[in-house]
Amino acid sequence: MSAISASEKVDGFTRKSMRKAQKQRKSQGSSQYRTHSVPVELSPLPQLKDAPSTEQQELFTQKLQQCCMLFDFLDSVTDLKSKEIKRATLNELVDYVSTNRGVLVESAYPEITNMISTNIFRILPPSENPDFDPEEDEPTLEAAWPHMQLVYEFLLRFLENPDFQPSIAKRHIDQKFVLQLLELFDSEDPRERDFLKTILHRIYGKFLGLRAFIRKQINNIFLRFIYETEHFNGVAELLEILGSIINGFALPLKVEHKQFLMKVLIPLHTAKGLALFHAQLAYCVVQFLEKDPTLTEPVIRGLLKFWPKTCSQKEVMFLGEIEEILDVIEPTQFKKIQEPLFKQISKCVTNPHFQVAERALYFWNNEYILSLIEENIDKILPIMFGSLYRISKEHWNPTIVALVYNVLKTLMEMNCTLFDELTSSYKADRQREKKKEQEREELWKNLEELKLSNKPLVQNNSHGLPSVQNNNNNNNSNNSENQDRSPAAVTANDQDPDVTVAASESTPCAK
Amino acid sequence: KQNLVYLHIDMDAFKLMKELRVNYDQEVHYLPKVTGLVFIESTVRISAKCRDAKVEDLWSLTSFFGYSTQTFVLAVNLLDRFLAMMRIQPKHLSCVSLSCLHMAAKVTEEECNLTPTDELIRIGQCRFTVSDLARMEKIVTEKLNFKSKAVTALTFLHLYHEIALSKETLSLEKLEAQLKACLCRIAFSKAKPSVLALALLRQEIEALQWEDMLEVAYYIQAHLKIANVELMLWSERVAQCLSDYASPECSKPNHRRLQWIVSRRTAQNLHSYRSVPELPTIPEGCWDESESEDSCEDMMSSGEESLSSSLGSDAEGSFFPPHLRRQKQRQYLFA
Repeated sequence: MSAISASEKVDGFTRKSMRKAQKQRKSQGSSQYRTHSVPVELSPLPQLKDAPSTEQQELFTQKLQQCCMLFDFLDSVTDLKSKEIKRATLNELVDYVSTNRGVLVESAYPEITNMISTNIFRILPPSENPDFDPEEDEPTLEAAWPHMQLVYEFLLRFLENPDFQPSIAKRHIDQKFVLQLLELFDSEDPRERDFLKTILHRIYGKFLGLRAFIRKQINNIFLRFIYETEHFNGVAELLEILGSIINGFALPLKVEHKQFLMKVLIPLHTAKGLALFHAQLAYCVVQFLEKDPTLTEPVIRGLLKFWPKTCSQKEVMFLGEIEEILDVIEPTQFKKIQEPLFKQISKCVTNPHFQVAERALYFWNNEYILSLIEENIDKILPIMFGSLYRISKEHWNPTIVALVYNVLKTLMEMNCTLFDELTSSYKADRQREKKKEQEREELWKNLEELKLSNKPLVQNNSHGLPSVQNNNNNNNSNNSENQDRSPAAVTANDQDPDVTVAASESTPCAK
Repeated sequence: KQNLVYLHIDMDAFKLMKELRVNYDQEVHYLPKVTGLVFIESTVRISAKCRDAKVEDLWSLTSFFGYSTQTFVLAVNLLDRFLAMMRIQPKHLSCVSLSCLHMAAKVTEEECNLTPTDELIRIGQCRFTVSDLARMEKIVTEKLNFKSKAVTALTFLHLYHEIALSKETLSLEKLEAQLKACLCRIAFSKAKPSVLALALLRQEIEALQWEDMLEVAYYIQAHLKIANVELMLWSERVAQCLSDYASPECSKPNHRRLQWIVSRRTAQNLHSYRSVPELPTIPEGCWDESESEDSCEDMMSSGEESLSSSLGSDAEGSFFPPHLRRQKQRQYLFA
C-alpha cells in the first residue's frame, strides 16, 4: 500500500477516491474449493436438443448429476476445460427448463433439488474485511459466480415452469431447504442476494404450507439482527419480499402481523445501517398503514420513541418516512398524533444540521399535509411558532431562513388572527426575558463593583480554617465578604473574627 | 352628546388635543389621490387584488424581519400614494413595494435592525437586483416629495389610545393588528386616517361594550369635527373587514406563489421512495386454506381472530380519495 501524500488528504483523512483507487482488484471469496491432487475431468455429454425424446429424461438426469461436481474458482488455472463443460451444461439446462413443456416429471424433482443444493448451499466464507462498511467498501464477490449464477437462474426457471407442481416439490423444497436458502441472504454478493430475493418470493407464493415457517424465520433473522449481531447483509432483500407479502394481507389484519409491525419493523429503525434498507422498510410500514389505518398512532409513537438523537443522516430518513406516512394518513388518525409529532418536527426545524431542518421545513410544500395542518391550525401553530420565529433570526444557513419565511407566510395566511396573537405574546415573552437578563446583568455588575470597592478591606484567609460560604454563591472564590455588608450574620468561628458571612441576597444569584 | 364633565381636562389632555389638531391638519398632505385609487380598483392592469396581495406580502416581510407596525403602515402609505399617482407595469409592482418598505424602515427602524437590501430581495423571492431597488427608491422619493414623518392612521390611533388612557386601557396591539388587517384592502386607503383610526377605536369600544368609553370617541369626533355620515360609513366597512379577519375559517393559502428552494442533497433524496416495488403482490390466503399445514404454529397468533374473513374491515371506506392523498409531483428547485 503506497503512502498517501498530505495533499491528497482532506482534513487529515484520505479522500474516498484515493482509497478506492488503491483497491484496484475486486476482492473475491468463495467457500468452494477442492484439494484433489488428481484433477477430475468432466466428459461432455450429447446435447439435449439432439437427443431423441425417449432418451431426454435420462440425459437430463445425467447432466444434472454431472453438474454436482464443484470447482475451485479461486484457482484460475486448473480444470479450465471441465469448468467450461459445466458452464455450457448449466446453460443448456436453463434453456431446457425454460422452453420445454413436459420436462418436469416426478423423478426429476429430487435430482434437480439435489443439484441445486449441492451447488449453492454452503457456509459462506468469512468476510475478508471485518470492518466492512456496506456504503463505502466494495463487497466481496462470489468467485464461483460463473457457475452459481446459472444454477440460480435454473432454480428460478424451475419454479416458474408452468408444469411446476408444488405438491410434488414440497417433498424436496421443505423447511430445511428454505432455512438454508435464508442463510444465504447474508452473502456479500449483491447479485446472489438479488436472485435469492426473487426465488424466495416465488417459493412463498407457491408453497402455502411453508409461509408461516418463512415468516417466522425472517422474524428470527431480524430480531437477531436488531438485538444481537447488528450484522446481516440481506435485510433489504427480505424487506422487499415482505413488502409484497404485506401488500397482499387480507383484512382484518391478523394479530401476528400487527405484532410483527410493532415488535420487529419499528425496532428495525434503530439499526446502525438503516440507510441500506430504509426505503424498503418505509415501504413496508406505509403498506401496513394503508391496510389498517388504526395502526397509525402506535406506529408514529414508536417512531417518535426511536427518534435519532445523534445521527443526522438517520433523522433525515425518519423525516422522509414521516412524510410518506402523512401522505396516506386519515384525518381522524392525524388528530391523534399531531401534537407529539409536531413537537418533534418543531425540534427538527431548529436543528443546526441544515439537511434536517430543510427536510422538516419542506413538509409545508406538501399540499395534503397543508390541508391537514389547516384543519388543526389552532393546535399546530402554537407548537411551531416559537421555533420558527427563533430560527428566522438565528439559523446560520440562508436557505433555511428563506424556507422559514415560506412556512411562516403559509401559516399566517391560514389563520391571521391566531398568528397575530402568537406574534404579540411571543414578543411579550421576549421582552420579559430581555428585562430579566438586564436585571441579572445589573445585579452582577453591582456585585462586581462591591467587590472592587471593598478590596483593600479583604483579609487574607490563609490559615487553613474553613470560611463559611454563602449559601447562594456556589462559585464564589474564597474571598470573605466585607464586614460592612448589612446585616451580616457573624460566624461562630471565634478564632477568625474577620470572616463574616454575607447576608443572603434578596434575589438569588443563580445563573 | 358631549358630556365634558366626565373627562379630565388637565394639561396632558390639552396637549394631546392640540397634537391631534395639528396632525389632523397635516393628514391631507399624505393622502393618496382618490382618483388614482379608484382607477386601480377598476382597472385590470394593476388591480386592487394585486395591490392587496403585495401589501399582504409586505406585512409578512415586516413580521419576519421584526419591523414595527409603524414601518408597515408607512410603507403602505407610500405605496398607495405612488400607485395613485403613477401607472406602473405589473412586473414592477414588487420592486415598488419593496422600495417603499425599505424606505419606511430607514425612517422608523434603528440602523442596526435594518435588513440589508439583498436579504430583503432574497427572502421576498424577487427577481430584481439591489441596484434596481436603489433606483426605484430614488424615483419614489422624488415623486412623493418624500418627507419622513408622514401622518398615518397609526399616528391617530396612538393619539386616540393615549387620550383614552385617561379612562381605560385599550389594547394598542390589538388595534394595530386590526389596522393592519384593514390596510390590506385598498378600499381603506380612501379613508382619511383620522376617520379610519376613529372607526377602529369605536369598533373596539363597542366590541368590549364599554359604554362610557364611547364618550371619548364622541369627544374626539367633535374636536376634529368629523362628520357623522363619514364616520358611520367607515365604521360599517371596518366592521365587515374585521369580521372576516376574525373568522375561524382558514383561507387556503395561495401556495403556488412561493418558491421552495432546497439544497441539492436534500432534493436528491426527496424522490428516493417513489420507486415501484419490483416484486408482485402475494395475496394472503383466506382462512379456509390452511397456511400452516406443514409448519409449526404461528409463533405469535393468539387465536383471537374471528373466523369470518370478509375482506375489508373498514366499512366506512377511506376518507380521502386516493388521488388527493398521493402527491404526484413535488415542485422544487435546486439551490
